[in-house]
Amino acid sequence: MKAQGEDMSTDALAAFLSAYRRPDGVPDELLGPDGQVRPVWSAFMQRLARINPEDMATRMSRGDQYLRDAGVFYRRYAPAEASDRDWPLSHMPVLIAEAEWHEIAAGLTQRADLLEAVLADLYGDNRLVAEGHLPPPLVAQNADWLRPLVGVRPRSGHFLHFVAFDIGRGPEGQWWVLSDRTQAPSGAGFALENRIATARVYSGLYDNANVTRLAGFFRAFRDALMGLRASESSRVGILTPGPMNDTYFEHAYIARYLGFMLLEGEDLVVDSGRLMVRTVDGLKPISVLWRRLDASWADPLELNEGSRLGTPGLVGALRNGSVTMVNALGAGVLEARAFLAFLPKLSRVLLDEPLRMPNIATWWCGGAKERAYVQANARGMTISGAYSTGLAFELEDMLPQDLGAEALAARIAHDGPRLVGQEQVQLSTTPAFVDGRLQPRPMSLRVFLARTASGWQVMPGGFARIGLSDASTGLAMQKGGLVSDVWVIGARRAQSETMLPRAAETVDRNQPGALPSRAADNLFWLGRYVERTEHMLRILRAYHARLAETANPEAPLPAAIATYLAGLGVDPDEPIPDALMGALSAANSSAGHVRDRFSVDGSAALSELMETTRGLIGKVAPGDDAARAMGRLLRQVSGFSGLVQDNMYRFNGWRFLSIGRALERAANMTGSLLAFSDPDAAEGALDLVIEIGDSAMSHRRRYSVSTDRGTVLDLLALDGLNPRSVLFQLEEIRQHLQFLPGNAPHRRLSGLQRSVLRAHTDLSLQNPEDVDGDFLARLSTEILSVSENLTHAYLR
Amino acid sequence: MIYDIRMEIEYSYDRPAASGRNLLRLMPADLPLEQRLIAGSLTIEPQPREWLGGSDFFQNVTNEVVFDTPHKTTLFSVQARVERMLRGGWLDMSPRLDLLEREVADYRELDPWAPHHFLGTSPRIAFDPEMEAYGIEATANAATAFDAVEALGQALHRDMTFDAEATTVDTPASEAFANRHGVCQDFTHIMITCLRSLGMPAGYVSGFLRTVPPEGQPRLEGADAMHAWVRAWCGHEMGWVEYDPTNAVHVSMDHVVIARGRDYSDVAPVKGVSRSSGAHTTRQSVDVDVLD
Repeated sequence: MKAQGEDMSTDALAAFLSAYRRPDGVPDELLGPDGQVRPVWSAFMQRLARINPEDMATRMSRGDQYLRDAGVFYRRYAPAEASDRDWPLSHMPVLIAEAEWHEIAAGLTQRADLLEAVLADLYGDNRLVAEGHLPPPLVAQNADWLRPLVGVRPRSGHFLHFVAFDIGRGPEGQWWVLSDRTQAPSGAGFALENRIATARVYSGLYDNANVTRLAGFFRAFRDALMGLRASESSRVGILTPGPMNDTYFEHAYIARYLGFMLLEGEDLVVDSGRLMVRTVDGLKPISVLWRRLDASWADPLELNEGSRLGTPGLVGALRNGSVTMVNALGAGVLEARAFLAFLPKLSRVLLDEPLRMPNIATWWCGGAKERAYVQANARGMTISGAYSTGLAFELEDMLPQDLGAEALAARIAHDGPRLVGQEQVQLSTTPAFVDGRLQPRPMSLRVFLARTASGWQVMPGGFARIGLSDASTGLAMQKGGLVSDVWVIGARRAQSETMLPRAAETVDRNQPGALPSRAADNLFWLGRYVERTEHMLRILRAYHARLAETANPEAPLPAAIATYLAGLGVDPDEPIPDALMGALSAANSSAGHVRDRFSVDGSAALSELMETTRGLIGKVAPGDDAARAMGRLLRQVSGFSGLVQDNMYRFNGWRFLSIGRALERAANMTGSLLAFSDPDAAEGALDLVIEIGDSAMSHRRRYSVSTDRGTVLDLLALDGLNPRSVLFQLEEIRQHLQFLPGNAPHRRLSGLQRSVLRAHTDLSLQNPEDVDGDFLARLSTEILSVSENLTHAYLR
Repeated sequence: MIYDIRMEIEYSYDRPAASGRNLLRLMPADLPLEQRLIAGSLTIEPQPREWLGGSDFFQNVTNEVVFDTPHKTTLFSVQARVERMLRGGWLDMSPRLDLLEREVADYRELDPWAPHHFLGTSPRIAFDPEMEAYGIEATANAATAFDAVEALGQALHRDMTFDAEATTVDTPASEAFANRHGVCQDFTHIMITCLRSLGMPAGYVSGFLRTVPPEGQPRLEGADAMHAWVRAWCGHEMGWVEYDPTNAVHVSMDHVVIARGRDYSDVAPVKGVSRSSGAHTTRQSVDVDVLD
């Protein structure tokens, strides 16, 4: 169908916006002072107005679906216990004209240069304090001014490589800086995900809207980080506090997107003054760390001694010039709110020019004049902690607005140097969908800057916070605000750019990097825990099926199974035992640590399995009901294993996962045979162990006789073609080991290889009739020693 | 006065520690006009693979050591001969306490002994309204800042009970204060908290006391282990003074300085945890003998 006429679309737009009222006193991004749609929004809005509500709902759910599939979430703290939460996407982007964006970029570039110069002074010769431009307590009593870093010049020559600013538009239309983020700003990865999701919502519109692409920014920063390495063989890593952090998803996402290693403090070790990564192939040098960890946690030896997230000796490695930190440890000192009171003056002192973009007016109550001013003008201000690094609208430590004049005076007199007053800024509004209709909501932008060899690059667009109510205090995400994509609209169609190599370039495969030992450890245990879960489910299913038949838990076979279960730590009286939940949550926790190496579908399948199981607690009756529930859960476990086998790249990580699974399966099968293949075992025990081994069909096909001890042991212990047999597992482990570092042929056998070979050979040489309890017990010990040798060789 | 000092600190682990890294502040300091380190040696078992000497922000001497062989015990032994020259007998040149804030503000440097580092909070010092109220009451009659230090130190010595069993190295000062008992570390942290809430810069000193007191004087508390006391800034004229609240005495010939900082976290004798997570125990012995 041809596009409709201009008049008709104008009518459609008017109808579409009929309920949209711009608020009094603040500018609106969409509507100008004359009530007309601003030019930058006009083309997009006209097309949007023609989308009918049903279509729009479908589009929105397409965006949400993308985010769910990609596993985008962030971790929410209090009030309830920590939990992962869906990403609160507002489906309406914020549109900003390219010309205006250039102004914003110029202002923030200047500010980034200023902050760099201030840091160089604070960790250098402290001229700013000595000459009276900064009050000494602002530095000396600032918990983020890190004394062990004083006098340490960054290896790269720069303190700041990646910064963010929160900015908002005030009543006069002017942009204001609300806060400076110099520690370890988050959100760049979320901005990318917002973009992908929003482009899906507006498929067909996005491509024609002249939106500047984001990928170029990330490519430039990746190249910049690669350029900071000490040598070609050295590595770049992203340092994360781990899965308990609220933005861990983003750390894993960025690591995957840029192709960097995702590291926790424990992955790193300082060796002769150099920073190294522990990998399954030994220590490997690393010379650039993009840290997402607050500096004080980075080294328990010289910084916060209580930190379990850091690397002892890291500060020493920095002093040695062995590694570039993005950003330098200690850069967070500038996030203290009180600095906003001094930056306008520091700009004149250090850059000899005024700030191109002002920050919100701030008064530090350490001076008598400022104290008096804040007291007199408290009505239009928020008064909060001077050293607080919270965002402009995260005012947990704000003094109550209804504090009486007397109480306020007393508070300011007592705590002056620890307080700042800040002018309350009303922020501009932008359209957001509320119950399917557009409504004006306050917003602020987070803008990211990355240092490259040719200077600062500004991410074109990114990430806006949208308040839920009219008050700008609703902007914080932890309080339930929304986020939206920001589109910088050019005059011409944007060049399509992605991180993928263009057709003309030769495809250069990244070498898969060395696998950090901790990641290998988590994958190994993930394999073990998932297999352990499966084993428990099989036994429990068999147990409840027998219960359903006999209705007597005291009968010999159910009693024998109950004893075996108790040996696994499983309480057979509970239909969904704690030990089962324990194995599942251990599997989930291991998977959580290797999110960057793991398919999104795989982690989703695993957490669904846990939710399903949790949901069954208290709802399942022993016997038939429980047996059927276990059957359902077993099918879900197979779903997970299938996803992993089909999708995971065949490199070392996959090998550790597979070894874990094989090892656990070998151990469990050996244990089951020990318990149920004894000549004195209860009647029906041999059929039971075949059922646990999921080998009833194979048994029928292979022996066409009734089960006896010999056929069972042959099939479940010795048959190298049965994927459930012990020998099959040992063979698999043997195969995987050949590909792991340090196992090249013609070298002396390692302790690990020896232990695998011993178990494998012992088993291969057996006849079914010679496999007795003593042999199985010895085999159990040998399998256990494989696990210990593996840990010793690779996992610490 | 010349002292011969011997100290041993031993850590024992339940399970062998595979590797470890420690930052040590164990050696008596060399301080012009106050104390001279005539000779000093530190020996460590097992033998560290790496050993780096250095100094920290507050100019304390540090040793960083790295172990890479499994070990169940670590033994740090210090032998030192120290001449202590500080004679005490302070002449009060300090301003009134309420005028100290002005003098602090006039100090426009961030050198290691700038008063600014020693106000506000630090890793082990938090604001505490009860200690603030206690500090105000204890110093109500003090004419000068220096008087206030002494008045507060005496009040704490009067109201607090020395009890080696009541607290551990990680007990917060507020808890020790609430129960009115603790060891030298608690006395020192409590006094620092009170002084800072009065606007007086105050820091932490770790060191030794002579084991056998001069004839006719009582044996001081804390002489059989490492000791701690307070350092307070009494204005431009007078500068820093040191006071031992555990014994209610001004620091003089009987005290030997190891390290100084804002609180215990800046001067902890042995920092750094072993990678093995098993429990550990500590044994400490100190002898400070007068060389005749």
